[in-house]
Parts: sequence; C-alpha cells; structure tokens
Amino acid sequence: MSTPIENNEKEQAYWSYVKRQFKKNKRALFSFYIVCFLAFIALFADVLANEKPLYCSYKGNTYFPVFRDYGVMMGFAKWPPDLRNIDWLNAKFDAVVRAPIPYSPTTLDPFNSGFVSPFGKQDVASTRWRHWLGTENIGRDILASLIHGTRIALTVGLVSMSIATIIGILLGALAGFFGDNRIKISRASVIMLLIGLFFAYFYGFSARSFTMSEAFSVSLLKGFLQFSLSILIFSAVLGGSYLLGFILKIIPFLKIKVAIPLDIIVQRLTEIFLSIPRLFLILAIVAIAKPGIFLVMAVIGFTSWTGISSFIRAELLKVRNLEFIEAAEALGYSRWRILFKHAIPNALSPVLIAVAFGIASAILVESFLSFIGLGIPAEVLTWGKLLALSRGGKSQLWVAIFPGLAIFLTVTVFNLIGEGLTDALDPRQKK
Amino acid sequence: MFKYILKRILIFIPTLLVISLLTFLLSVSVPGDPVEQMLSSASENGGKNVLASEQAYIDKRKNLGLDLPVFYFSLSNKATPKNLHEIPKKLHRENLEVFINKYGNWNEINSYYQSVKQLEIAVSHIDKDSSNADALIAVKDNLYKLYINHDDATLTSAKKNIQKNIQIASLQSINAPFQNTVAAYTAMKTKATIWKNSIPSIHWYGSQNQYHQWITKFFKGDFGISYQDQRPVKTVIWDALRWTLMLSLISMFITYLISIPLGVYSGAHKGSRFDKTTTTILFLLYSLPSFWVATLLIMFLGGGDFLGWFPAYGVGTDAIDDSMNIFQVAGVRMYYLFLPLVCFIYPSLAFISRQMRGAMINTLSQDYIRTARAKGLDEKTVLWKHAIKNSLLPIITLFASIFPLAISGAVTLEIIFSIPGMGKTVVEAIFSRNYPIVYTVVMFSAILTLVGNLVADILYALVDPRISFSKK
Repeated sequence: MSTPIENNEKEQAYWSYVKRQFKKNKRALFSFYIVCFLAFIALFADVLANEKPLYCSYKGNTYFPVFRDYGVMMGFAKWPPDLRNIDWLNAKFDAVVRAPIPYSPTTLDPFNSGFVSPFGKQDVASTRWRHWLGTENIGRDILASLIHGTRIALTVGLVSMSIATIIGILLGALAGFFGDNRIKISRASVIMLLIGLFFAYFYGFSARSFTMSEAFSVSLLKGFLQFSLSILIFSAVLGGSYLLGFILKIIPFLKIKVAIPLDIIVQRLTEIFLSIPRLFLILAIVAIAKPGIFLVMAVIGFTSWTGISSFIRAELLKVRNLEFIEAAEALGYSRWRILFKHAIPNALSPVLIAVAFGIASAILVESFLSFIGLGIPAEVLTWGKLLALSRGGKSQLWVAIFPGLAIFLTVTVFNLIGEGLTDALDPRQKK
Repeated sequence: MFKYILKRILIFIPTLLVISLLTFLLSVSVPGDPVEQMLSSASENGGKNVLASEQAYIDKRKNLGLDLPVFYFSLSNKATPKNLHEIPKKLHRENLEVFINKYGNWNEINSYYQSVKQLEIAVSHIDKDSSNADALIAVKDNLYKLYINHDDATLTSAKKNIQKNIQIASLQSINAPFQNTVAAYTAMKTKATIWKNSIPSIHWYGSQNQYHQWITKFFKGDFGISYQDQRPVKTVIWDALRWTLMLSLISMFITYLISIPLGVYSGAHKGSRFDKTTTTILFLLYSLPSFWVATLLIMFLGGGDFLGWFPAYGVGTDAIDDSMNIFQVAGVRMYYLFLPLVCFIYPSLAFISRQMRGAMINTLSQDYIRTARAKGLDEKTVLWKHAIKNSLLPIITLFASIFPLAISGAVTLEIIFSIPGMGKTVVEAIFSRNYPIVYTVVMFSAILTLVGNLVADILYALVDPRISFSKK
C-alpha cells in the first residue's frame, strides 16, 4: 500500500517513461512537431492571412484592424465610420503593415479569378500580392483558405474527439469497473427511477419541445440555453423521484436490492453503434439538420466513442482486480471515489492512442462531408470544399493538390503519433 | 458451441429491434413530406379542384401506410387528441401541434381548422373571371398562410388581406365562411386552456401503426416500394448490391493475394531494407484519403487534360451492346472499373499487410517457432507452415468485418466515380427522403455486421483450439 505521495511519484515516473519511449520514435516525435506547427497556424490564422492590415494609419488615426476585429466579434468594440465600408486592399493608408498573406479566405480578387495558376503570370501589383498557391474560380486565394481551413480541421478533430472521449471513458468505466453485478439498488429505487424517467422526459423535453425549437431558430446560444434548462429539469425530476424511492423502502419487498447489469447495457449499446454504418448515420443526421460546424463535430463525436469505451472497459477489468484498488476498498473509500481517482487515471494511457487515431479519422470524415457539400455552412471554406472545387470540368491541378496534401499531412501525422504512442505504451517493449 | 451460437443469435434480436427503432425515429423526425414529394413528382398539378387533390393526397398517404399512427403508443399531453394523425397533411398537422402548444384547447383549434377548410372549399367554388382573378389569387395565397402559420401577426395580416380582397372583388359567397374563420380564431385565442399541456398522457394505438407494419413486413421479406421511382425496394437494392459486391469481391481477392505474402515476408525480415521501405510506403498509402486519390486519378488518367487513359466515371453501360460476348462485356467493365478498383484496393492493401506483418512478428517470437527452428526445419517450412497458421488469426477476424463494410464502405468512391452501387443509392435516398431504401439498407448492414462478428468468433475457435466458448 503506497501513500499518495509515493503513488504520485510512481505516476510521474510512468509518464516520463512514456515520454522517453515516445521521444525515441523519431517519426512520431517529428509528427508531434508538425502538429504543434499546425496548431500554431490554426491559432494565428487571422494574423497570418488577412485582408485587414495588422497595423495601419488612416486619415491621421492609428488602427490595429486585425485585433479590433476580435473586439467587434465579441461585441465590445466598433468600427470607426472611416473604416466601416473601407476596401481594405485598395485603400490609401498613410502607413500600413499587412499580414504575410494579404488576403482573407473570403477576399475576392477580381483580376485573378477563374483558377489562376500559382506557376504562371498573375495580374498582381507586386510579388507581395502574389497568390502563392493560385486562386479558385471566383478569385479567392488558396493559401489563405488553406490557412483558415487548418483551424476548422483541427477544431473538428479536437472537439469531436473530446466529446467521444468523455462519453467513451464514462461508459467504458461504468461497464468495466462495475460489471454486471457490482452496482445494486433497491427495487423501490428502480421503480421510482422508471416512473421518474417518464415524468422527467415529459417535463424536460416533451412539454418543452416547442419552446426549444423556437429558441434554436432564434439563435444557437438561446437554443443551447433552453436545452440546458431542459436537461436541468430532467435531472431534477429524475433525482427527485429517486429520493422518493427512499420512502418506498419501508415496504420489505421493495427493499430487496437488484443488480444493474451495466456491462451488458453498455456492451449492447456499443454493438448497436458498431452495427449501423457510421458514415450512413452521420450522413443521415447531417442531411436532415441545419448545416453547422458544431453539428458536424457533435455528430462525429457521438458516433466515435465506441473504440475508447472498449479500451477503457478492458483496462478497468484488469485494473479493478489490482491490489491498490482492493486496498482502497479496504480503507473504506467510496466506490465512485475509487473509480474516478484511482481506477480511471490508471487506465487512461490506451485512450491516448484511440484519441490520436480518432482525430485523424474525424478530420477525414469532416473533409469528406465538406467534399460532398454536406454539413459545413456555405460561407465556410474548408480543405474538403477546396478539394471539391477542383472537380468541376477543367482540371485545376493546384486546387486539387494543395488541400489534398493538407488533409493527407494532417491525417498522417496524427496516425504516426498514434503509432508512436502504441509503441511507447506497449509494456512488452520495456527493457 | 451450438449453445453459444444460439445464445449469440438470441442477443441479436433486441439489438436489431433497437437499431430498427433508431432508424425509424430518425426518419420520422425528418422535415419534409414524402407524400407531397411523390405527388408533385408523379403528376402535373391538379390544383383546380381542391377536393380532388385533397382526395389524391389522402389516397396516396393511405397507399404508403402513412395514415397510421407512428408507433404503438404516443407520449403526449392532455391537450393533444389521440387521433391527431388523422389530419392528413403533414404541414397542417405540424401547425396544429403548435396551436395546441400555444392554446391547449383542441375543440376550438379543430373548429378553427375546419372553418379554414370550409373557406378553402368555398373559394374553390367561385368561378374565375377577369374581374376577380387577381383578388382570387391573393385570397388563395393568404389562405395558404392560414394553414401553415401560427404567430398572431402573420395570421392577422393574412386575414386583413383576405377581407380587403373580398371587398374589392365583392366575393360575397365566401364572406360568411370567412367570418366563421375569424370567429373561430378569436374563440381559440380567448378560450385557451394551456394548463392541459402540462399534464402528461399516453395514447395507446395497438398494432395498427407504421412501425409495426414496416417491421413485420420487413421480416416477411417485403421491403416496400421506393418513393422515388415506385420500384420495389428489393430490386433497387439488388441492382445496386451487384455493383458493390462485385467491386468489393474483386478488390478483396486482389488485396489478399498481394498483402498476405507481403506481410509475411516483411514480418519475417523485420528490420531489413525491404521491410522498412514497404512499411513506410504502406503507411503513407494507409493515410492517403481515398477521395483525394480518386480526384487526382480522374484528373491525371481519366479523360482530363493530362492522360485520357481511362473513363472518368460510370460503369460503361452505354458502351455495351447486345452483340458483345461475355468477355468483351467484362473487358469494357474492367476498363471502366479500373480506377475505382485501384482506389478500393490500396487502403485495404495497406491495412491488411500491416496487420499481417504485425501478427507475423508476434508469432515468430513465440517459443514453438524457436523449437521448430531448433529441430532443424528450414526457414521456409517454419515460415509458411508453422508461423503463418497462427498469424492468420487476426486476418480472419478482418475478413468477417469486411463484408458489412462492403455495403457502406464504398460511399465515397461510388459517389466520385458515379458507380450505381449501394453507397451511392443510400446517399441519394437519404437526400431525397426515400425512407424505405434507407431503412432496408441500414437493417441489412446491421444484420451483416452482427452475423459477421459471429462468424469471425466461430472461425476463430475453429482455427485456434485454445479458444473455447463452452466455458463462457
């Protein structure tokens, strides 16, 4: 039995060991650096490619338009009248510092529309204004779109995998740790929970469906607020009826405890999700709902937790019989505390692998969805959409190659990191 | 063993039921009205006679089985009547639901709805002439608004508009029904009983419901008719399945033919230059998005500006005529399917070779291989007779999981190359709300996945005597 401090040290030793192993893998390490680089591009996309100058002096006043843009978006700054309808590209500034790529993904360059090649002559004032990767049919700069597309691709990967990880860890842990017979609740509680579920659904969702859809049609934020309220009502009613169950326990028959087969439930749920072709499910949901980037992330997240949950489940089946869990039980810690503070942290490492591969596949699914023109709103330009632009009639080599390369590179580096993690976490490689 | 299989098959049933419920739920919540869609695509507008076109709608709805309640029961509130599903038009029904939510008094809401209907019939009896044509059109437009809107402002302005047009063109015959409508609307608003909305109630419908009809017919082998072209779903799916099956069988065959020897060889020579190069190449192939490769291949080789070696899309049906013999037909098909096949094969090739290599490395480190070598067996026998047996295990599991994938996995490529296979058919069905096809395909791929997993487990046990199910 180790004290918490020792435990902590051991944990650190384990992770530094994993780190060492991971660093030994040159390809994985290099991929990790590329991911950092991509993350940098995604974070600073607005500074890297923007038609608004980073700094400008206009009619005697000094502005930082790119940064003011953030303020305007958040609602605590306004554009001064001078700049409100300004043509950023052609305005006569007294002094100006422009972004490295002086185009936004939405900027239309009328002189270079209709697929201008990056290799040929371009109708630009100087090399400073050159479209380094060419333009697409209505004169948008490909490089600028690629830079801003990085943000979308990485966000989709991260957010959807976060959703998947949370669901996967929760379900997998419940199934693996509690199994089929380690959670027991009284018959009274079961009955009350079932009745409560009915009322909770009715007052939380059924009775509020009109209010919710109304709110969603006003704005996403309002809809989300209403949705959260619904969840709150749902949990409150469910919790209330669970508490009522305690009163019912005075009847001896209802006091008998029954085991909740959590493992069977989660296993069946996993089987169901694995049996419906994932792409069909995603397509079906995306096709009926209003397009939106959050929708795509949520749908990908909700359909890709199965791998993570089965990893965690398998790991917890092992962990729960280890000595330190028994020791914690002997010490009288509550089972939930053991689960969240001791069991899950010790089972997390294989999840990292699944997450790395999952991000790769989420990015792939997103680019495919935008490639066939689904899910992502029309005004957002993503890698997949750029790639799709190349499919109309005449072959536009650069429009096909660069976005494809971006997708390929990102997917590959995440796969390589997944590989590296697999090797680093494999105990058989311990020497 | 038999007991185990039986147990697994028994578990299929609840899983399948839940899947069927899920797909059903998804399609019920889809916006849009399939009946309207079919009628507008089937016949030119019979809009002149309101009663006749309404009757056509009702008939079609009944024909599709959409006149039944959705499920065995419905969970709703006291304000919602049990027979709301009898209101034929989906748009109207949805609007009435909003009214129920707002006012909670079904009797008044219904009489308002009936009064609007009476008004519509009255309007349709008026003979159109030059003096009232414009006014009639305006009245009809606003009448339509009454059916599908629920906010007070829109309804009031629509009614004002109708009133105005009645006066302009002196349409006396519809004045009385119109006044009825106005009165009914006021009654609905003033006699609101919103409290009824917060009392839950369950309506029971029994087996006369859409889900029950569909699922019983499904298990009897009747999958319904496609909304789009009225063909039986069975033939639509069979036509599509032929292409997908052919593509996946050919590609699977070629994949295994190449990847197993490749995996075995590079696994056996781990660390050699051959191994390093193939591993890297295969890894890169594995990460190459197939829709990108397909786009580039079409661009470079498929009739683009570069090399027009292959057709860019289609399966060459136009290039085939009756005079050709089977080899010529196969030749044309192969010519058309070459690029898609390449795109089908390379990802699974990469994947399976990698799996095979991993399994081989794993097996070669086992004790019994060392024993075999110590016995003095030559390397070839060790490799191809002793090691390969055990390293094929994971490949067998893969084989079983490839079958269901064959149904859905080809969506991307079928769309890009416009091959009329399952993937393309389903995606088109999803877009055009052709539920019978979506249901059937999802159910079948679910069944195939479940069976595939079972077959994999059984094969596993057959190949590896250490695995036994009877103890479980």
